[in-house]
Amino acid sequence: MTAAASAGLGHFLPEVVLLAAAVASMFVHLFVKRGGRRAAGYVALAGIAAAAVALALTPPSAEPYFAGHLAADGFALFFKAVILAAGVLAIVLAFRFFDVERSEPGEAYYLILLSMIGMTAAVSATDMVTTYVTFELFAIPSYVLAGIFKKERRSAEAGIKYFFLGTLSSAVMLLGMALVYGLTGLTGYTEAGPLLAGGSGLAALVAMSLFFVGLFFKAAFVPFHMWAPDVYEGAPTPLVVFLSTAPKAAVVAILVRAMTTLFGGYALEWSGILQAVALATMFWGNLAALTQTSLKRMLAYSAIAQAGYLAIGLAAWGEPARMAILFYIAVYVVMNAAAFGLILLVGGGGRFDESVDGLRGLVRRAPVAAASVLVVLLALTGIPPTAGFMGKYFLFAAAVDKGLVLLAAAGALNSAISLFYYFRIGKAMFLEDAAPAIPGAGPAAAESVSRTVTVVLALSAAALLLFGILPGLLTAPAASAVLGR
Amino acid sequence: MNILGIPILTFVTFFPVAGMVVLLALPGSRTRAIKLAANIFTGLEFVATLLLLTRFDAASGDMQLLERAPWIKAIGAQYLLGVDGISLLLVLLTSLLTFIATLSSWQAVEKRLKEYYVFLLLLETGMIGVFLALDLLLFYVFWEVVLVPMYFLIGVWGGERKLYAAIKFFLYTLFGSVAMLVGILVLRSQHQTFDVLAMLGAGSVLPVSLQGWVFLAFFLGFAIKVPMFPFHTWLPDAHVEAPTAGSVILAGVLLKMGTYGFLRFSMPLLPDAARRYAPAIVVLALVAIVYGALVSLMQKDMKKLIAYSSVSHMGFVMLGLFVLTPLAAKGAVLQMVNHGISTGALFLIVGIIYERRHTRLIAEFGGLASRMPVYAAVFLIMTMSSIGLPGLNGFIGEFMILMGTFPVSWLWTAVAATGIILGAGYMLWLYQRVMFGRLANPANESLKDLTLRELATFLPLIVLAFWIGIFPKPFLAVLDKPVEKIIRVVNPAHFEAPR
Repeated sequence: MTAAASAGLGHFLPEVVLLAAAVASMFVHLFVKRGGRRAAGYVALAGIAAAAVALALTPPSAEPYFAGHLAADGFALFFKAVILAAGVLAIVLAFRFFDVERSEPGEAYYLILLSMIGMTAAVSATDMVTTYVTFELFAIPSYVLAGIFKKERRSAEAGIKYFFLGTLSSAVMLLGMALVYGLTGLTGYTEAGPLLAGGSGLAALVAMSLFFVGLFFKAAFVPFHMWAPDVYEGAPTPLVVFLSTAPKAAVVAILVRAMTTLFGGYALEWSGILQAVALATMFWGNLAALTQTSLKRMLAYSAIAQAGYLAIGLAAWGEPARMAILFYIAVYVVMNAAAFGLILLVGGGGRFDESVDGLRGLVRRAPVAAASVLVVLLALTGIPPTAGFMGKYFLFAAAVDKGLVLLAAAGALNSAISLFYYFRIGKAMFLEDAAPAIPGAGPAAAESVSRTVTVVLALSAAALLLFGILPGLLTAPAASAVLGR
Repeated sequence: MNILGIPILTFVTFFPVAGMVVLLALPGSRTRAIKLAANIFTGLEFVATLLLLTRFDAASGDMQLLERAPWIKAIGAQYLLGVDGISLLLVLLTSLLTFIATLSSWQAVEKRLKEYYVFLLLLETGMIGVFLALDLLLFYVFWEVVLVPMYFLIGVWGGERKLYAAIKFFLYTLFGSVAMLVGILVLRSQHQTFDVLAMLGAGSVLPVSLQGWVFLAFFLGFAIKVPMFPFHTWLPDAHVEAPTAGSVILAGVLLKMGTYGFLRFSMPLLPDAARRYAPAIVVLALVAIVYGALVSLMQKDMKKLIAYSSVSHMGFVMLGLFVLTPLAAKGAVLQMVNHGISTGALFLIVGIIYERRHTRLIAEFGGLASRMPVYAAVFLIMTMSSIGLPGLNGFIGEFMILMGTFPVSWLWTAVAATGIILGAGYMLWLYQRVMFGRLANPANESLKDLTLRELATFLPLIVLAFWIGIFPKPFLAVLDKPVEKIIRVVNPAHFEAPR
């Protein structure tokens, strides 16, 4: 037994490494007096790098581990890589943010790692109990992260709001799981699935709906999105980079796993639910973003809308759809991290300007950063030759192949609608002259363009272009993750 | 055939990108070097496209010089380029007009030079790619690549209402494009390939009703680009606000992307739907011809007048395409080239007077012929070319369209012919008000005639206008086979019925 367990552990080395790094980071934060906080961040980054190496060395395996509670298949490994990437982006951007804020809550670094452990385990979970435990494991640190600036009203409010609504939705999900257990007496996805399909339809549908509500909440799908704009607006920006990307990746993985195994007998039903969710999420997210004046709130709605495209892929079943989801989630993390990252581009003297005006005339001051942001905006809108276009294309194509032409058309229409607000940013950067000095901020504030953020943006833009022109580089691993080895 | 070891079609498509890289490497302060480099690159690009002629076989109606490579294996998308007579003429038009646009910008553009030329070169790659791509996804990528640089050309270097015009252009065309994308998705789902040649080879596998929907999706994409009535409202804004070079390329090349799309994709891939909707499209085209001409008559701004005349002229092209006879369709393709030459030149003409006087209001001018004789001559030639005076290019195209339309419907022909009469009206009236009469406005006293550089930009256009007008045979020779091939697919009845 112990031998089997330790053999299984080898496939979950990334989680082990992350845990070790989280503990190390915590100790550094606690006991190193001078510069311990920043050092905790470096430890966290090194930990993620080590976890990435461990992940690269983990071969995908079709076997169930830990009594069928966890899988280490290609699908899970792909999501783990995406989650690691989100963590790196968030921590690097946090360095810049904390510098400007002149306050560095070092616990953020190991909280991010702890949350990541929950996520990387959640994407492997093949059992309801494990799913729930890992789900809470990544949720609880994320509530703290949202409210990490305790003394600041907006951040504290975000944390509280996220916590209350988050626990409520977890409870609803748990209720759905309890129903499934009541109906089948089993907790494993693959074991309970056939029993569920053969049993009473209505009760199973209620169970499925409750199960999904918790996940939809965490993914900020409309109509369970109400918390998202407030939390994203109030939480510190680099942590929003994390909160708006990694949990969505984990949720999408759980959804795909649950839909294909546990609720495999109800494909028609969940496809219908997700079609409705996709339509509502895209239209609501984009139309609401159109009306926003704050850059950060606009991007919050943009993040909601972007997840709506993912729901198109979820609604279309089959391997091409799953491949499209993997492709898009990877692209989404980069696009969205870069989008929130651009808020950190301009600022100094303690405050970031969260209006679009702060970016006016950026191309004159920082041409590389402006050009990179342009690529990110094109990707978010879905204009070639960026990976954002290819990702949306794969999702729409998967829908069309299943006869969901109108859903794909709605997605395409939304991509055109989103141009209108994304290019408010493009217009400010390229077409308008620099704003007169922002009242309240010193003249130096407008001038300082962060080098760290510029590098992150430039690398993101390069990746988006590379995967846009040669999407095969990303479709190949995505396809092998879906097809198994 | 290779240039520097690169297959020629790839070379002509991406050579401007090489120019972009060089420009980006130059320091922004070296304005002269930037201008020089941009001109050299667009000039060399034109020469490179001319080299296509040496390998092009005019006797064949098939796609030639095919370049094929796998691109996205997971979905079977390919990097597939090819050229036939239709593409060839449009590629040559593109590289010539881009070169001319670059040359004409030497003094007109003063701010943010480097970006300006970078966008111009990116635009060229996009346009040439559109005319060469034979894989639908690749085509779509090039199609969209065109939008971004044009948005910036209008938005940064445009006139007073540039911000409004730029986003209007972008939004309108993007809405059309995404509709087209859905059409591409459905086509791909039915054919299991993006390869246009393979789709044509497979024949019509789509049921007629589905063809209709796909046709509609493509129609939105292409009709907005042309633009057809009633989708034309972005055009006057974009053309008027764009800098001169932008207007030249917009009118000269970008509008042709729409008509080219109809001819290359909508018609042969969806022949039943094309046949079915042809009468409706013809009616819209006729409305555009007359409406565009009437609105042109009313304009006080020279540039706006030329802009609306494009609506009318592109209506002619659409008419020629959708009467579905080889003669009219050939006339339509030739008219695409003609419109690029004459309207491109007319925008340059307006741009020159604007550079000197900073106004384009017709009422501000009058009697310029006495101060600017060379300018007057160039303006006259291009006015005549636009009107369709025999001996100049416009005549050949319009006449072929009318001749091809007549056997189908005398009524359509008659309505289209009124458009020509109205066209003569607004153009001659414009010329009269600007060039003839007394030189009443003292501000025009000191106007300088064309410089040598300016004259040089017009020279190739004038030569082409006369060449096509007097001896169009070489141009028609490359069009004969490919156009007939497409019409044969769409309207086989035309070739069976004894006429």
